[in-house]
Amino acid sequence: MRPFTYTSATNKEQALKASTKTSHYLAGGTNLVDLMKEDVERPDQLIDVNKLDYKKITSNEKGGLSLGAMLSNAETANHPEIRTNYPLLSMAMLSAASAQIRNMASNGGNLLQRTRCPYFFETSMPCNKREPGSGCGALKGMNALHAIFGYSDNCIATNPSDMNVALAAIGATVEVQKKDGSSRMIEFTDFHRLPGDKPEKDNTLEQGELITAIHLSKPEFSDHYYYLKIRERSSYAFALISVAAGLQVKSGVIAKAGLAMGGVAHKPWKLSKAEEFLVGKKPNKSKFEAAADLAMKDAKPFEANKFKVEMGKNAIVRALTQAYEREA
Amino acid sequence: MTKTINASGVGNAIDRVEGHLKVMGKAKYASEFPVENKVYGQGINSTIAKGEIISIDTSEAEKLEGVLKVITYKNAEKLKAFDEERPELATDSIAPVLQSNKVHYYGEYVGLVVAETFEQAQYAARLVKFEYKKDSDALIDFEKSKSKAYTPDNDSNYSRGNMKLGLSEADMVVEQTYNTPIEHHHPMELHAVIAAWDNGKVTAYASQQIVEDAKIAISGTFQIPKEDVRVISAFVGGGFGSKLNLDRHVIMAVMASKMVGRPVQVTVTRTQMFTNTNMRQQNEQKMRVGAKKDGTLTALSHETLSHTSITQEYQEPCGMVSKMLYNVPNNEVTYKLIPMNLQTPFAMRAPGEATGSFALESAMDEMAWKLKMDPLEFRIKNDTQTDLHENRPFSSRLLVECLRIGADKFGWKDRKAEPRTNKKGNWLIGYGVSAASREAPYQKTHAKVILELEEDKIFATIQMDATDIGTGSYTIIAQTASEYLKIPVEQVTVELGDSDFPITPGSGGSWGAASYCNGARAACENAINTLKNNRNIKGDEEVTVSELLKQNQLTKFEAEGMAEPSAEFKKYSIFSFGANFSEVWVDKDTGMYRIKRMVNVGSAGKILNPKTAYGQIIGGLTMGAGMVIAEQSRVEPNFGNFITRSFADYHVPVNLDMANIDVIFLPEEDKIANKMGIKGIGELGITSVAASISNAIFNATGKRMRSLPITPEKLIEAGLEEGVTA
Ligand SMILES: Cc1cc2nc3c(=O)[nH]c(=O)nc-3n(C[C@H](O)[C@H](O)[C@H](O)COP(=O)(O)OP(=O)(O)OC[C@H]3O[C@@H](n4cnc5c(N)ncnc54)[C@H](O)[C@@H]3O)c2cc1C
Ligand code: SF4
Repeated sequence: MRPFTYTSATNKEQALKASTKTSHYLAGGTNLVDLMKEDVERPDQLIDVNKLDYKKITSNEKGGLSLGAMLSNAETANHPEIRTNYPLLSMAMLSAASAQIRNMASNGGNLLQRTRCPYFFETSMPCNKREPGSGCGALKGMNALHAIFGYSDNCIATNPSDMNVALAAIGATVEVQKKDGSSRMIEFTDFHRLPGDKPEKDNTLEQGELITAIHLSKPEFSDHYYYLKIRERSSYAFALISVAAGLQVKSGVIAKAGLAMGGVAHKPWKLSKAEEFLVGKKPNKSKFEAAADLAMKDAKPFEANKFKVEMGKNAIVRALTQAYEREA
Repeated sequence: MTKTINASGVGNAIDRVEGHLKVMGKAKYASEFPVENKVYGQGINSTIAKGEIISIDTSEAEKLEGVLKVITYKNAEKLKAFDEERPELATDSIAPVLQSNKVHYYGEYVGLVVAETFEQAQYAARLVKFEYKKDSDALIDFEKSKSKAYTPDNDSNYSRGNMKLGLSEADMVVEQTYNTPIEHHHPMELHAVIAAWDNGKVTAYASQQIVEDAKIAISGTFQIPKEDVRVISAFVGGGFGSKLNLDRHVIMAVMASKMVGRPVQVTVTRTQMFTNTNMRQQNEQKMRVGAKKDGTLTALSHETLSHTSITQEYQEPCGMVSKMLYNVPNNEVTYKLIPMNLQTPFAMRAPGEATGSFALESAMDEMAWKLKMDPLEFRIKNDTQTDLHENRPFSSRLLVECLRIGADKFGWKDRKAEPRTNKKGNWLIGYGVSAASREAPYQKTHAKVILELEEDKIFATIQMDATDIGTGSYTIIAQTASEYLKIPVEQVTVELGDSDFPITPGSGGSWGAASYCNGARAACENAINTLKNNRNIKGDEEVTVSELLKQNQLTKFEAEGMAEPSAEFKKYSIFSFGANFSEVWVDKDTGMYRIKRMVNVGSAGKILNPKTAYGQIIGGLTMGAGMVIAEQSRVEPNFGNFITRSFADYHVPVNLDMANIDVIFLPEEDKIANKMGIKGIGELGITSVAASISNAIFNATGKRMRSLPITPEKLIEAGLEEGVTA
């Protein structure tokens, strides 16, 4: 590891003030420290934000709950209010990583975890995300785990987070503190970016901005929900494909649908067209299949990840079916 | 004198004698020896697959605080070079390193930084700048390198009868190719060494499976007398074959320690474990099986195409199992190797059997399906009590019994012969079976026993250079001493893994248990016999060891012993046998599957300790399941590096993947194998597990999966919706 200095902030002003172009906030460290050991992230200063008081779950004005950014993934997912009102989020978060990592990982850090693209991790390989302008190794290399939607020639990586997929289905806003002391809200769907010609930027945070909370929309999918994660082993693996599905069913008709996919794009992939299609329909297999077709219609797979199209369709139908058939 | 039953002798399920040390962190692994004044070395890896180093800039690294030395080919000590082109890799091979500017594979060591702390060494290693001239013709893609395949110059190609004739006599023929990927051993304990010179002699605390061969490799590489080398491997945190030979980090540490005049520790990082230790290479195995309508085998051939490295040769004996497992008159086994720009592969748990049995036992299942025969009965029909390859009887072979008893225990009769007919919701359910065999070698072994009399009690210490690679050697050796000296195991101390102790063959090839225990037995028997002889006591007279020492007026006595294969041993083929049964549930939408149940029956001679033996089989089954579920190391096609570079990408099974496992040992003592009746089990467990699971997947889904691992993406691509494609 390269040498760096370490500062522990006790309030947000300290943290914001300490931040520079080459510093990083340190939350659970489960992603950042790994990448520092690999020489991929090279901060000269770590600002520990674990002492900041953003560790609560509170009610918000949207009628939903807000998650403190420094609260751990484990505490969030297992919180009784989250389990009752946002079981989809809880289910997605508990499918991620391992118990030990979830104990360390924070909500803010989870939103910002970086891609698992192997070229990104290996400093001797070309990678535009790690080293802008060096080329994308995956484009003509091994890309079975890469995107089928929304990529550019500059980067075809996927966002690896399970939590993000559930948040995209549920709806949320991210609250951030700017360096000048003011704060701003970012719609969750606008929080992560597509790679375009700036693959080094995963999201729309400005330099030095500090996430303090994730405000969830009001709970709508507490009866019919499912998070389906397809992976190479039963636990402790990132998703090949994942689907977060939430349904609100009133008088036998779908009143609202929340649907998003993971493992397919540079950002959590919200399936807005499929969501819209489902509203007003009677929930049954043919409707779910039609929604899945609609969702996957624009997929542009590579030779090695063609399987994601079929797998994705199956996963959408299956997640919707499991969500609908769940005993409320 | 009252006779007491010895509850700690061989055959008893006692706890591991070294268990406490391990859980308390007191068992010393290689990098944990408190060697004074120690400094740290960090290896630097090449970032091209083939070419030359054209310049090295060490200035930035050398400026760093704590950095003592940067070693590259420019200032490295001259080492012994290979005498011939591409010599065979053996457990005692020399391991020259940092000898030229040539690069043969991505990740090859090109330098070592030595610094006061581990962190300083790691950081400085990143600051050494290498400039390369890269050759564009590196052989990094198996498919594209096939034209370079050659037939290795050894005598492993084999045939009996007439393959052509056998095939013409067959009513049915199966001709298929089975692929297995590169796999890595990945023991939990990283390869590590501390090398320390003192007065012209070097001690290496190294994580090695065979201490004597490590010593030979160091002395050979540096061309120094064997007497000047000592190797200590007191505890080894797993090897699986990756620590059989001596790898280059040890040589770098020994060299560096000489250069800086202080002890040097080198630990291979997990990412380096992919490139700087052994691996199991990719295999393409083409099988041809011919059978009569009634299930009689008429022909069987097994052609293996694998790769080796540019500098050394290794050939995994995949076809071995096809030569001896079944009663087939016409048989052919061939091998071809492609020299590729990757490190040299080497033996990984059950080399030959683990991968070869996947091909053979899949092909057998395919034939049974073609014949509409129960795959269990098909195997039983073709059993043989003679090893047709060696043309001699098996010392004991209970394969049919393993299959029958396993079938009964598993409930094989409930299997639906037609695929896709056992369903539950989204699940397709299948049963699979496979037969397993693994050679049970046994080798010359020396041991020493030290007896001490203290207030009427005998305390015994056994010394041998054997290793315990997590398998339980300490425990079974202690049980052996307890058995033959007739004292409780608490009065036995076992000291292993020091090259100053009597020579053994080390741990590998499933020969450890039989060799070590018989060696220890011989030492104990020698001690007793000598003590009896001295006092003219008849051999069969029952006298306690403490009584013997007293009669000899001794309080301490030492004896050595040696055990080795008998003349009779050589007249037989000596193998362990087993049968694997699996129940697999495949999710037809996602391609994910669960191994719900496994039953493994083994006939492996005397079971010395059921606890440690179960551990071996369960570990083997899990590793076998790993071959099917996810294990594969993937080479980047443009650069030649492994893109699987940590446990986050190289997936091994997790608890949730694994089944309820039933392990059954048939009672057996094979006295032809050796006096104690022991055969090996360390590798039996992994053998043919992959086929048993993939056969179950066929029974569940109707899709024959011939390339490991069988991942959800492959199953989705095969199409799980409908149809049986054989
Ligand atoms: C082996 C392994 C397996 C995993 N498997 C999965 C999986 O299956 N699914 C999954 O979803 N995840 C998985 N993860 C990833 C894990 O969820 C993330 O590493 C974790 O959520 C990151 O949170 P953290 O608090 O540790 O972040 P850190 O590592 O501390 O930080 C990550 C980044 O966010 C920045 N940051 C942190 N907090 C803030 C803040 N409040 N404001 C602004 N910037 C901030 C940091 O500067 C850093 O750049 C896995 C991780 C590992 C190591
Ligand atoms: S896909 Fe993105 S992260 Fe991966 S190599 Fe290309 S640029 Fe880098």
